[in-house]
Amino acid sequence: MSTAATPRTAPVYALVGNPNCGKSTLFNALTGLKQKVGNYPGVTVERKVGTAYTQHGQPLTLIDLPGAYSLAARSPDEAVTRDVLLGRRADTPMPDRIVCIADATNLERNLYLVHQILDLGRPVVLVLNMMDLAAQAGLQIRAARLEHELGIPVIPCEAANNKGLIELKLALSRHDLPLPRHAWDVPAALAPAVSELQASLIAADAKAPLVARAEALLLLTDPDPLRVTGSTPLSANTTRILESWKTRWTADATDWSGTLVSARYDAIGKLVAQIVVQPEGAEDGHAARASRSTLELSDKIDAVATHPVWGWVIFAAIMATMFFSIFTLAGIPMGWIEALMAAVSGLVDHVIPQGAFHSLVIDGAIAGVEGVIIFLPQILILFLFIGFLESTGYMARAAFIMDRVMSKVGLNGKSFIPLLSSYACAIPGVMAARTIEEPKDRLVTILVAPFMSCSARLPVYLLLIAALVSANEVPVGTQVGLMLLMYALGTGGAFFFAWLFKKTLLRGAPPLMIMELPPYRLPRFRDVLIQMWERGFIFVKRAGTVILALSIVLWFLANYPKPPEGAAAAPNQPIVEAVSPGPDAPRAEPAAAPSAVTAEDPLAYSLAGRAGRLLEPLIAPLGFDWRIGIGLIQSFAAREVFNSSMSVIFSVQESDDEAATRAQLRDAIRAAERPDGSKLFTPLVCLNLMIFYVFAMQCISTLAVVKRETGGWKWALFQLVYMTGTAWLVCFVVYQAGRALGF
Amino acid sequence: MPSALDRLRPEPLPLCQLPAGSSGRVSALTGEAAFCQRVREMGFGERAFVTKVGGRGPFICVVNGCRLALSHDAAAAILVEPTGLKAGS
Repeated sequence: MSTAATPRTAPVYALVGNPNCGKSTLFNALTGLKQKVGNYPGVTVERKVGTAYTQHGQPLTLIDLPGAYSLAARSPDEAVTRDVLLGRRADTPMPDRIVCIADATNLERNLYLVHQILDLGRPVVLVLNMMDLAAQAGLQIRAARLEHELGIPVIPCEAANNKGLIELKLALSRHDLPLPRHAWDVPAALAPAVSELQASLIAADAKAPLVARAEALLLLTDPDPLRVTGSTPLSANTTRILESWKTRWTADATDWSGTLVSARYDAIGKLVAQIVVQPEGAEDGHAARASRSTLELSDKIDAVATHPVWGWVIFAAIMATMFFSIFTLAGIPMGWIEALMAAVSGLVDHVIPQGAFHSLVIDGAIAGVEGVIIFLPQILILFLFIGFLESTGYMARAAFIMDRVMSKVGLNGKSFIPLLSSYACAIPGVMAARTIEEPKDRLVTILVAPFMSCSARLPVYLLLIAALVSANEVPVGTQVGLMLLMYALGTGGAFFFAWLFKKTLLRGAPPLMIMELPPYRLPRFRDVLIQMWERGFIFVKRAGTVILALSIVLWFLANYPKPPEGAAAAPNQPIVEAVSPGPDAPRAEPAAAPSAVTAEDPLAYSLAGRAGRLLEPLIAPLGFDWRIGIGLIQSFAAREVFNSSMSVIFSVQESDDEAATRAQLRDAIRAAERPDGSKLFTPLVCLNLMIFYVFAMQCISTLAVVKRETGGWKWALFQLVYMTGTAWLVCFVVYQAGRALGF
Repeated sequence: MPSALDRLRPEPLPLCQLPAGSSGRVSALTGEAAFCQRVREMGFGERAFVTKVGGRGPFICVVNGCRLALSHDAAAAILVEPTGLKAGS
């Protein structure tokens, strides 16, 4: 409270509301592009902070908290909302004031969270959003009456139409925000327990009185106290009191959680009865058969969109359009990025004298970052589609349709969005899993998401398909067929392992899915674009930091130690310049003494080359040799680095004409031989290599995100081992069977 | 008198068995405690008025003007007393 009015510094407001209440739209309307997006340390929940200005130009800091139905959090993003509001997060100071956003068309449920927040006794401004839709539904809402009842400013608003924002800003700039006049009767059966727990939380857990009361109420709402306390365990005294009350209630069959939630809803029901005038014909005064018109429209659309047959047709059409856009339209901006990076390389080429540093910048840093940034257009297109699907309300229907499929492997429809995102990149996929409530389901989803063929695998598939088919131009049918086979293998693998994990390691009852289906709405371009921009920015930032660092490390591994003076042809030029895809004899001598090789190729002498040789006995049964081994190791920075590794190993000179470079690389690979003169990249080896890329975990960035999301290295390492193990096993079987069959 | 009332009062049935297009009032939740808590917090607790719109598991229901999708098992854990058909169906 003492922090409520600190006029000299910008007050900090937290924005809180149910999912789909228009919170992000309001946040965007208030802050424009003055937003900072990052992550809360320790979890992959997005942290959005923005600056808004009052009518008098005074800055206000706004924190957009993740949508939540209740402070009794059930998913990591809801937990962040709870922890920030209770002042538990060291990285985010307890906000001075709170803006609650409620969907006016569904006031009763939205007021549940508001009711819990009022318990905190902090200054609150309540925004009734979507007043236009409520009016369309025939609902009349007496905002002034609600303001009188709660004792806090209540602002009717239409964030989507920029209506009510001035009134809201005026309320936010008030120095003397009143504290809520909020009183409700905790049920008699629970009241003594609430008092006792509150006293103990104050005395033994050092909580402020009102926070202690709010926490006591949460402890009696959620059956599992561990979920409420999160990273701040209860003192022994409070635990003892809680346990003794629960034992007592269990003995006399009191459903404490149900009683408490019902009591809140009773209090809210009385409030709503006073402030919401139902349209004529509303059923027995029951709150809001609201949004009749939007509901009827949604009913009509849903009759088709969730139809057992038409629903699938629409779903398939949308997915096909999305993937077509990702894989074709993205080509244009990808060309621009290539041109831009080539220009940067050209500039650096002129500025930095030839030498090791020149190579480090061009072949290490720039090439490595380009390898990742090149996927930005695909990722932006994916997020554009996801943004549209979310803002129109279709995404929840897609999850609904997929629920039937997902339930076959023990997951529910909510796992669909993370898996879908993973087709572009597993990192946003893993991050999207944060909305899944059941921890085991979330973990299973994270563990299998990288099986979905991400866009980094695409260039590898394309190269190998080109090498596999003998014609110069690969027939489109063959290319699409093989590509679909790879996608199907990955998806099948994800579903198989989800099923396996749910049966064994992470056994759990089939989750009971309850998910809100927001009404269909016209998409908000501004919100979609802002979200796309933010996600793209996070991606670029990662490319500029982690990937850059990794690329430099890999460059060192591929370039050092240098072969002894005089042994190599050109010590400062690790990339051999000849374009001779023909009979490249001595380089393909894996069994020869190291010196014989290093004389020919500095790469083989480098740490990466040695690692490739070290790896060879392990991958030989899959039909791969040490040169492929180097590619596999380098793929850990990003899978498509395989292509540039092969360029280096098979001495393909990069030229400005990209198609020519690609054709050269393809020819070089086709011509590559084993020591005995047989072809290295037989169709079987190409196919097997593609299969290896489908299943193997070869992405350090994903592992880092998984580590952060699961709270330690245990599951990230498990994922690395089981995925790569699967890849090895499948490839072993395919190669040995293929050989036995004479391929 | 109680017997007459009891006869008027329809038998509770799981939401999954409620015919599409009809409505009911939630009489009990039978799932595990965590599920019941969330369902109640979403305004789907005892006494809530629910209309089943359709679907063959997962189902779509309307509660308080809000559309919710429920998996078959979730709908089986919610017992409702039917209150009649939706107008027009």
